[in-house]
Amino acid sequence: MSGAVEPGKQVVPLSEALEKLARLEQENKLAEADDLANRMLAAKPDHPHILHLAGIVAYRNGRVEQAIARMEQAEALAPEMALYPRNMCEVYRGAGRLEDALRAGRRAVELAPNDSRAYFNLALIHYERLELDESVRMAERAIELDPDYAEAHFERAEALLLAGRMREGWESYEWRFKLKQAEGMLPKTDKPQWDGQPLPPGKLLIIGDQGFGDCIQFGRLIPWAALLAPQPVLACSGELVPILRQIPGAGKIVTRWEDTGDYDAYIPLSGLPRLAGIDTGNVPPSGYLSPAPALVREWAGKLDRLTPKGKQRIALVWAGRPTHKNDKKRTLKLGQFAPLFAREDLAIITVQKGDSIAQVGGYYGCAPLVNLGPEIGDFLDTMAILQSVDRLVTIDTSVAHIAGASNVPTSLVLPYAPDWRWLLNREDTPWYQSVRIFRQQRPYDWGGVVERVAAGL
Amino acid sequence: MTDGLCPCGSLLRASRCCAQPAGALAGQESLALLDGQGQEAARLFNDRKYAEAEALALKLLDLAPNFRAPLRVLYEIRKAQQRGAAAEALGARLAALPGPAQARAAANMQFAQFLVGQGRHAEALAPATETLKATPRDAAAHHLMGVVLTETGNLPGGEHHYRRALKLLGRDDPLAVANLAWNLRQQGRLAEAAALYAQAVPPETENRRGIGGYAQVAFARGNRQAAVAMLDAALARWPDDRTLRLLRVMADLAMDQPQAALERLGPPEQLLPLEALALGRAMAQLGRLQEAMGVIVAARRAQRERNGLAYDEAGLRARAEAYKAYFTADRVQALPRAGAGAFMPVFLLGFPRAGTGLLEQLLAQVPGFAVGDEAAPVGDLVQEVTRLTGAAYPQALDEFIAGGGVELPDRLRGLYEERRQRRGLLRPGARFITDRAASNVWHLGLIKLLYPEAPVIHVLRHPYDLMLSNLMQDRRLEGNAQAGAPALAKYYALQAEMIAHYRGQLTLRYLPLRYEDLVADPAGKLREVLAFIGAEAAPPDETTLRANAAALPDPVPEHLATRAPVHARAAYRYRDYVAQMPHLFDELRDTLAPWLATLGYEDAEMRA
Repeated sequence: MSGAVEPGKQVVPLSEALEKLARLEQENKLAEADDLANRMLAAKPDHPHILHLAGIVAYRNGRVEQAIARMEQAEALAPEMALYPRNMCEVYRGAGRLEDALRAGRRAVELAPNDSRAYFNLALIHYERLELDESVRMAERAIELDPDYAEAHFERAEALLLAGRMREGWESYEWRFKLKQAEGMLPKTDKPQWDGQPLPPGKLLIIGDQGFGDCIQFGRLIPWAALLAPQPVLACSGELVPILRQIPGAGKIVTRWEDTGDYDAYIPLSGLPRLAGIDTGNVPPSGYLSPAPALVREWAGKLDRLTPKGKQRIALVWAGRPTHKNDKKRTLKLGQFAPLFAREDLAIITVQKGDSIAQVGGYYGCAPLVNLGPEIGDFLDTMAILQSVDRLVTIDTSVAHIAGASNVPTSLVLPYAPDWRWLLNREDTPWYQSVRIFRQQRPYDWGGVVERVAAGL
Repeated sequence: MTDGLCPCGSLLRASRCCAQPAGALAGQESLALLDGQGQEAARLFNDRKYAEAEALALKLLDLAPNFRAPLRVLYEIRKAQQRGAAAEALGARLAALPGPAQARAAANMQFAQFLVGQGRHAEALAPATETLKATPRDAAAHHLMGVVLTETGNLPGGEHHYRRALKLLGRDDPLAVANLAWNLRQQGRLAEAAALYAQAVPPETENRRGIGGYAQVAFARGNRQAAVAMLDAALARWPDDRTLRLLRVMADLAMDQPQAALERLGPPEQLLPLEALALGRAMAQLGRLQEAMGVIVAARRAQRERNGLAYDEAGLRARAEAYKAYFTADRVQALPRAGAGAFMPVFLLGFPRAGTGLLEQLLAQVPGFAVGDEAAPVGDLVQEVTRLTGAAYPQALDEFIAGGGVELPDRLRGLYEERRQRRGLLRPGARFITDRAASNVWHLGLIKLLYPEAPVIHVLRHPYDLMLSNLMQDRRLEGNAQAGAPALAKYYALQAEMIAHYRGQLTLRYLPLRYEDLVADPAGKLREVLAFIGAEAAPPDETTLRANAAALPDPVPEHLATRAPVHARAAYRYRDYVAQMPHLFDELRDTLAPWLATLGYEDAEMRA
C-alpha cells in the first residue's frame, strides 16, 4: 500500500524532531542527540537546519571536522540564516580557525545587526586575535543591545585588563558574579559588598573565590584589606587554607559558610584589586609565601636520592585541569617539551598532578625524569619541592602562582591570547618578579616556544 | 534413559562420574557390604584379566561411585589405555576419598605422579601435599614433594624435601641424589651439584637424565671437554636418545660449532620442535638466515598445532587491566611503605633477552654488589599478601591502610630479605643485590611499597631483535608468549604498557638503559648505572669488563655461568634479517610500531 508506514516506525513531524534534537543537545544527552541527528540526516540529508543542528551535535561530541562540514553545508543551503554563521563562529574558534571564525562572525552581525550574541562572539574572536580594541568595541555593542549581558561585560573586562587598562577593567570585572558558572561562589546574604571603608576587627568577610591561582595571586592584598578592616575572616576551600594562612593580616579562616560568624560586609578576594586601585605599576611584590623549612628539607632529601647528581633540576608542569574553560589553549602534551628532554645537562622533575601524569609512562628522553607528582599531597608539598629545583617550567596553572608567590625562578609558557593577568608584549609580569614569560607567536601554535625556554636555561 | 556416558571417557554414566551430585554418595558402612566384590575386581586386575576387572568395576561404580577398590582398578585401566581425561577424573576422585592414611597417601601420590608425568607440576602440589600429610615419614612422599617444588621454582623447598627423603631412606639413593643435584644446579650451587652428580651418576649408570644434568653442570662450571665427553659416551650407549642428543647440540652451539650441530640434528623434517629450534639457531649462526627463519617458524607452528601451545592473551590482559585499575597514583599514595631494609635491591627490568643478564654480569664485577638473579622474587609475596589479609590481590593491599595492616609492608619486606638470605645471596660486604625476576614487570606497585626508593633499571632493546632472539630460544615465557611471533609482539606490548602505567602512576627511581649502548660502551654505561644507584665503588677497567670473566660468585645464576665476553654483534641484528627478508616483520608492525616510536627506535629502523 502506497504511503503506508512500516510496522514499528513512528512518523514525527519535522518541527517536533528538530525541537527534540535541540533539546537533547542542550540537556547534554549527546549520545542520544547523535543518534537522532544521524537518523534525521539519513532521512533528509539536504535539510539545512538538520545539518546545522547535527553539526553542533558532532562538535559537542568532539568531531570537529564533521561538525564544520555539516554546518558549512547548512550555510550554503540557507545563506541568509543568521543563526548559522553565529554558531559557526564559535565552532571555528574551537577548531582554531580564527580567520574563518572572523568571517562567520562578521556575516552573523551583517545578517542580524541587533543580535547581541553575534557581537559577543565577535568580541571573543578579536580577543583570540589580540585585537583588543575591537574586542572591547564588539563587547560594548553587545552590551548596548542587552545591558545585562554578563558574559559581554566580563569579556570587555578581560580585554581591558589584558590591554593593561586595569582601572576600567576592574569595574567590568565585577560582572563575573553574574556569570552562570559563578553561582554559589558568594554567600547568600543581605550584607553589602565591602566598599573599602574601615570596619571593626573581624567584621569583614573575604571570600576565596575563583580558582586556586587567582586566590594565591590576589591573596597578597589581604594585608592591605586588614589595614582597613583588621583580622578579616577568610572563607576558602580546604586546600587553600595552609597556603593563605601564611599571609599576614587574616583573622580566622573557615571552609564553611556557617562558620563565618557575624560580619558587616563581604568582598571576594578578586574584588580587592579594584578597591585597592591596582594597576600595572603598584602591584604589591611577590615573595609572600614560603614553605616550612622541615618540609623543604624532607623533599630536598628525597630529590637528592631520586635525581642524578650534577644536573640542572627543572620542575615541569605541562597540563592543567581539563575542566578549565581555557584548558585546551594552555595545556600541552609532555612530548611537546622535547627540546628540554634532549638536554643531558638537565634533570626533569615533573610536579604534574591529575590524569596527565600517565604521559610520563612514554617518556624516554635523554634528560632523566623523576615523576614526583604521585607523591605530592598538596600545594605545600609543591611549594617545598620548588625550593629544591633550579627552575620551574610551567603552563598557566596554579603551580605558576605558587612558584611566583614564593619567588621561585619560573619559565611560564603562554598561549597567543593569554589570560588577562599576564598582559601583553612583555617577558616579565608585575605580579611575580621571578617569572619569565614565553609566549606563542601565532595562535594555537607552540612551535618555537619551548625551544626558547630551553635556550634560556 | 537421559543419563549418557560421561564425556571424560571413563565409560561410567555421567551421573556416576563427573556429574555425580554432591552428598548423594553411599556411606562407608554401606560400602562395606560391597567389600567382597571390590576385592574380586582387584583380584581380576592383579591376575591381568583386565576386561573382566573393568566390567566388574564399572558395575560396582554404577552402584557406588565412591567405592575405592573398583575406582582404583578403573583408574589404572584408563591410565594404561592412555585415556587422559578419564584417568585424571578418576585419579582426582580417588585422591579425594576419605579413608585410612595409607590409602589416602597412595591415592594422592598416584594422582600427583600422574600430573607430574604430564608436566603439570603446579597442579600436582595439592595431591603431593596431601600425600605428605597422610604419611609424613615416607621417603617417597618427600621425594615427590621435592620434584614438585623444584619444578615449580620453589628451590629451597625442593632441596629440603629431597634431603628429608634421603635421610628417611638412610642411604644415598642415586635417583634422589641426582634430583637433589639438579635442584642445586638450579640454585646456582654448581660445585655442590657436581659433587652429588659425581656420587649419583657413575659411568655405568642407567640414569640418562642424571647424565644429562651432570653434563650441564660440568659445562656451566667450565669443564666443557668433560661435559662433551660425558654426552658423547652416553650417546654411544643410547644413540637414539633425543634428549641427550639435544644437549650435545646445545653444547655445539655454545662452543660456536654450528656446523657440527647441523650435522648432528639431520634434516629438519625429522625433528621435534625443540630440535628444530636448535637447528634454526645453528643455521642463523652460519648466516643462513632465511633457512633459519623457515625452520624456526615451522617449529613454532608445530608447537602450536601438535602441543596445543597457545598464547593466553585474555588471561594476561585481564591481569593487566586489574593491576592497572588498582595501582593508581591516588590509591598507592594512601598505602603505607616499609622502612629501610637490610640491603638495597636493584631491580633489573626488561623483556626476556633484553640484556638484564648482561647488566647483572657487569654489576657482579663491581665491589659491593651481589647477584640475585631471579631468586625469591617479589611476585612470590603475593601469596603471602593473600594469606595475611584473607583477600584477593591486589585489592588485598587495601588492608594495609588500617590497624595492624600498616605493619604488613615491613613484614613482607622482611620475608623477601629472609628468603634471599636463605638462598645465600647476602654475601659479606654486599650493599646492593640485583633482582632480575621476570615477574617484576607486574609488581612495580608492590615493589614501591616495600622499597619506595629502590633503583629500577629498565634494559631496553630494539623490539625486532627481541622478537628474533625469543623466537629462537627454547624458553617458556609467561602465558606461552613464545608460541609465535605475533604472540611475542603482543606480550611485548603488554609488558611495555604495564611499565608505562607504573611509571606514570608511581614515583619510581627509574633509569632506562639501552642494550645497544651498553654493549657499545660497557664501562661508560656501567659508570652511569653506578652513579644512578648511588654506588661509590669504581667499576673494573674497560678490558676486564669486556672480558666478562671475573671469578664467579656462589651460588651462580645460569646466565652468569655461561657468560661470554661483551660483544656488539647482536645489536640491531634484525637488520641483517630484513636485508634478506624485507617483509619479515610486517605482521608485527602494527603491534610494535607505537613502541618503536615511543622508545626512539624508529630512527634506527629507518637507518636499517
